[in-house]
Amino acid sequence: MAVSPRLATAAFNRTFINAPYTAAAIKQLFESSSNLRSTIHVSPNPSWAVGAKRRSDGSILSKTILNAAPTGNIQKRLSSSSAAVDSSKSTIVPDFSKYRKSSEPNTSRAFAYLMVGTTGALTAVGAKNSITDFLVNMSASADVLALAKVEVDLTKIPEGKNVVIKWRGKPVFIRHRTESEISEANATQLSELRDPQSDSDRVKKPEWLVMLGVCTHLGCVPIGEAGDYGGWYCPCHGSHYDISGRIRKGPAPLNLEIPQYEFEGEDSLIIG
Amino acid sequence: MTSPNSYNTKVVLATSLAAVTGIGFYFFVNPIHANEAEEGLHPPAYPWSHKGPFSTFDHASIRRGYQVYREVCSACHSLDRIAWRNLVGVSHTADEVKAMAEEVEYTDGPNDEGENFQRPGKLSDYMPPPYPNEEAARASNAGALPPDLSLIVKARHGGADYLFSILTGYMEAPAGVEIREGLYYNPYFPGGAISMARALFDGLIEYEDGTPATTSQMAKDVTTFLAWAAEPEHDERKKMGVKAIIVISILTALSVWLKRARFASLKSRKIVYVFN
Amino acid sequence: MLYRFVGTIYRTLLRRNSVFLTGVFTTAFVTEIVFDTAADKAWDTINRGKQWKDIENKYVQN
Repeated sequence: MAVSPRLATAAFNRTFINAPYTAAAIKQLFESSSNLRSTIHVSPNPSWAVGAKRRSDGSILSKTILNAAPTGNIQKRLSSSSAAVDSSKSTIVPDFSKYRKSSEPNTSRAFAYLMVGTTGALTAVGAKNSITDFLVNMSASADVLALAKVEVDLTKIPEGKNVVIKWRGKPVFIRHRTESEISEANATQLSELRDPQSDSDRVKKPEWLVMLGVCTHLGCVPIGEAGDYGGWYCPCHGSHYDISGRIRKGPAPLNLEIPQYEFEGEDSLIIG
Repeated sequence: MTSPNSYNTKVVLATSLAAVTGIGFYFFVNPIHANEAEEGLHPPAYPWSHKGPFSTFDHASIRRGYQVYREVCSACHSLDRIAWRNLVGVSHTADEVKAMAEEVEYTDGPNDEGENFQRPGKLSDYMPPPYPNEEAARASNAGALPPDLSLIVKARHGGADYLFSILTGYMEAPAGVEIREGLYYNPYFPGGAISMARALFDGLIEYEDGTPATTSQMAKDVTTFLAWAAEPEHDERKKMGVKAIIVISILTALSVWLKRARFASLKSRKIVYVFN
Repeated sequence: MLYRFVGTIYRTLLRRNSVFLTGVFTTAFVTEIVFDTAADKAWDTINRGKQWKDIENKYVQN
């Protein structure tokens, strides 16, 4: 609270002189508003309202003059402090010393730069947050994200069985592999593969193989427990996948894709 | 040039005109006036735990309020816009909500044979409605439709205060007020006759946290729950707003200073004429 | 003494625009973290006992 009156004063009184008009001066000011060259006499003048420094030849070097309480015969103007003076030698220069900063110029310059910098920094913070909010707004909404994850109960899948889950409109194959299948997948030489990838790169837990059930050739859904390599077989164009879902024979160029998934505890799998 | 006198007169005239217009608007156009018979009794302002710019919801109250909704209100009122997942991290843990959702059967499908099938609820499912459609709801409630409660706090004048007043405001109809068969007198309801019977009675349910289940306690809790349902973003919104106002206030003060610094040299310029 | 300090500040931080701008963005980065942390803490103090994280431990199993 204590700051605001001072702030207001500083904001409005900085460069202009708000002298306290005397009642008589104000009265004359308004009464003579149609009279362009009226004269205002205010007496006695306050000590701060008048004062002139003169050169040795008598011309004025500088003079303190306030538009509220002018001295002498001066043309009155409401919104200007310029004064017409019938003098060929002198110029009235208002004294600004009262309104100059008392601090050293270098200090005030540094201070001004600091203020500019602070404003810039805060604006940067605001801008960054606004942009982030707009971008977050463009990402998927919470209800879409809630549907984007599927939870699978792994206890219901016996060893050596396939399960097909629908996830984001695509089938996902989950196979509970047996020990012999795991060792078979690991025994395969990488040099035999069209798209070399070791089995450990394709699974998070060796007994659970999770893949997108979309043939990498033209997008058919392969059939489980079929084909020459004991894995999957695509009936459309005859692509054979092994027990790790890697392409072994047929037109498909790549291994079956692995979706993002996470194990939650021992018997729960979250796809997405 | 306009003289200062006539300028002042104009200012005074304009100000008085604005004042008269404002007062006139307040007394003759403004809809705040007590017409109890038509618009219901104006609810008093209650000191909600989430009242004010710095207050979040009382989440323990939301949890109790959900229990009241589930055990009492949900027999007739749907809550279509709230999904199970919305409760997670607000009033219940994920495991609790999963268990609650699994108790409800949802129709899903079609499966491989093209048939729809029933499955237990998941977090992404929405709160099950009590009636399959509006006609069934009206048929079960003597022609009256129990409104969906998702946005009820926003949808009624007086908001949470109104809801609390309605739930606790049932009383005998005063002398001279005729209430038809099947309607109930409630001074806070516009018109005074409401189709919903009083639903909350002391000790009707048993709170899991041991709070005594008085009528007003249940009304307060369920209203807090519904206020959350109408504004799930409430807590985050207030926090963000407070932060934004602080930063923007500082920026405003800095801009004023910068403007003045820029203008200082311009404003202190003087033009001097020298006659020669 | 103060003048010399101010002079040092000016020469090292404000004189070169590149240094000045780097300083502004560093300040912005630090300010955001500090302000967010402080505001969140004040917020949690004002609303102590009301938010979910205050009552969560009552309901979490294990």
